[in-house]
Amino acid sequence: MLREWKTEWMKVRRRRIALVPAAFLLFTFVWISWAMRSSHMESGKEAWMWLLMCLGLVNTILMPTMIAMLASRLCDVELKGNMLKLLCTMERKGRLFDLKLLTGTVYVEGYVTAELVMMLVFARLHGFAGGMTLRHLLCFLLQCGLVSLGVLLVQMLLSLFSVNQILPLAVGLAGSFLGLFSWFLSSPLWRPVIWAYYNLLGYIGQNWDESSRIVSYYEVPPDKSALLTLLLVLPLGYAFGRQLFIRRTPGCD
Amino acid sequence: MEYMVETKGLTKQYGDKEVVKDVDLKVPRACVYGFMGPNGAGKSTTLKMLLGLIQISAGRVTIGGEAVNRNNRIAVLKETGSLIESPSYYGHLTGRENLEIVKTLKGVSKEEIDQVLKLVRLMEQQDKRVKEYSLGMKQRLGLAEALLGRPSLLILDEPTNGLDPAGIQEIRELIRELPGRMGMTVLVSSHLLGEMDQMADYVGIINHGHLIFQDKLEVLHEHSRGSLRLCAMNRTVALEILKREGVSCRIEEEALELPRLTDDATARLIGCLCAGGAGVYRVEEKQKSLEEIFLSLTGRRGSL
Repeated sequence: MLREWKTEWMKVRRRRIALVPAAFLLFTFVWISWAMRSSHMESGKEAWMWLLMCLGLVNTILMPTMIAMLASRLCDVELKGNMLKLLCTMERKGRLFDLKLLTGTVYVEGYVTAELVMMLVFARLHGFAGGMTLRHLLCFLLQCGLVSLGVLLVQMLLSLFSVNQILPLAVGLAGSFLGLFSWFLSSPLWRPVIWAYYNLLGYIGQNWDESSRIVSYYEVPPDKSALLTLLLVLPLGYAFGRQLFIRRTPGCD
Repeated sequence: MEYMVETKGLTKQYGDKEVVKDVDLKVPRACVYGFMGPNGAGKSTTLKMLLGLIQISAGRVTIGGEAVNRNNRIAVLKETGSLIESPSYYGHLTGRENLEIVKTLKGVSKEEIDQVLKLVRLMEQQDKRVKEYSLGMKQRLGLAEALLGRPSLLILDEPTNGLDPAGIQEIRELIRELPGRMGMTVLVSSHLLGEMDQMADYVGIINHGHLIFQDKLEVLHEHSRGSLRLCAMNRTVALEILKREGVSCRIEEEALELPRLTDDATARLIGCLCAGGAGVYRVEEKQKSLEEIFLSLTGRRGSL
């Protein structure tokens, strides 16, 4: 299996895939730095909550597009040169799907980790008092890491089945907008929309005081039913996607 | 006789349509087996079934004496190299990097990459990105990928497609050498009879999904023997002499078409025609086209 996984990394050589998350990370940093200029936090705890809230929103907008680009670059190599046909005589299709997903997961979770580091650097640069609490860390990983895995699964399937990669990229872009709308239009209709889970698993709330024009932040528990739904749907989605890939790709498994 | 590839009742059905019907292939070891048929006859479908790239509707496949099934397919195919329809490659990688991926998947040594690169004459272009390769070079890279790991069986689907005449000749020579040089069995498909003439030891002909002929190339040649085409200045005299000699003929524009005769009979007949003043200025052997062979074979399918 390790030998086969090694080939996944050999395949993406020269594709400069890491540039995609690196560029998005830089953009995120610039965005929150710009947002920081117009914010006024009274305490260190509030500053941390602002940062986590802000990052949650920025991720809802940027991550679906970033993941769509990432999945497309990982998967289109197999379609462009007609490689699936040859690979299926040397490797089981189910395993090929697993390893491709694993490679994508490494990039996505690597991005989440890099974002975490970026957050700590940002907090230090701006002199935030105190540190990130364990609760915040776990909630951030759930919101960012887990939801992004679901988005990655959707995008990988779309990219593996689309000769023209415009469709998966358009879906990724649409996902960004849907996710963003879910922050402002509360409705149970968002439940079947994977991109809305960045909001549904949000863990910081905010109050806007119209008279003082001050926003205050407070902790809220992530939506447990949304978390449970995601935990159930992810393995099911993986099993369904894997089976679909096995059935629709030439070659018997 | 134990065959390298053997199929029994191999059938592929799409809905109600059977595209391959009860094919019993018998490919002997260490030879070039030419698998012929017109476009759409079922060649690629048969080869894809051998490689497990499409599901078999009925029948079974044995490769190297081992019946291929869902569980052992990848293990059996580790001993097989293939090039189906068009070459497979990662365009953004160099030729060598492409071969390194196949090498890693097949679990063969690094030294083999140099060997196959030399064999397909791609040493000079190995560090060039494949998207910059010509079609011929891509085809040779596909062949190199198939040859990695010195497989005992090589399955090539129309490997000379899209190549220029020099490239076609090069690939044919390479295929011709493989059984003797590396002990490989090569199963190669084509729709060109002339191509098979230069490469194959055995041939199988498929038409409308039926295997209508399978034997040594020499046996096929018996079927492809055509007629004699004779051009004479004085056709009336020529016709009289032919009638007198008891040779039937068919008038065809400016020539007379005679059935194929033995060399002795041909020499004697030409002597008579010349002595009789027929003014023979051209005698040529007319080979049957592949279509004509197909027709004659289809008519006798039951006896083959």
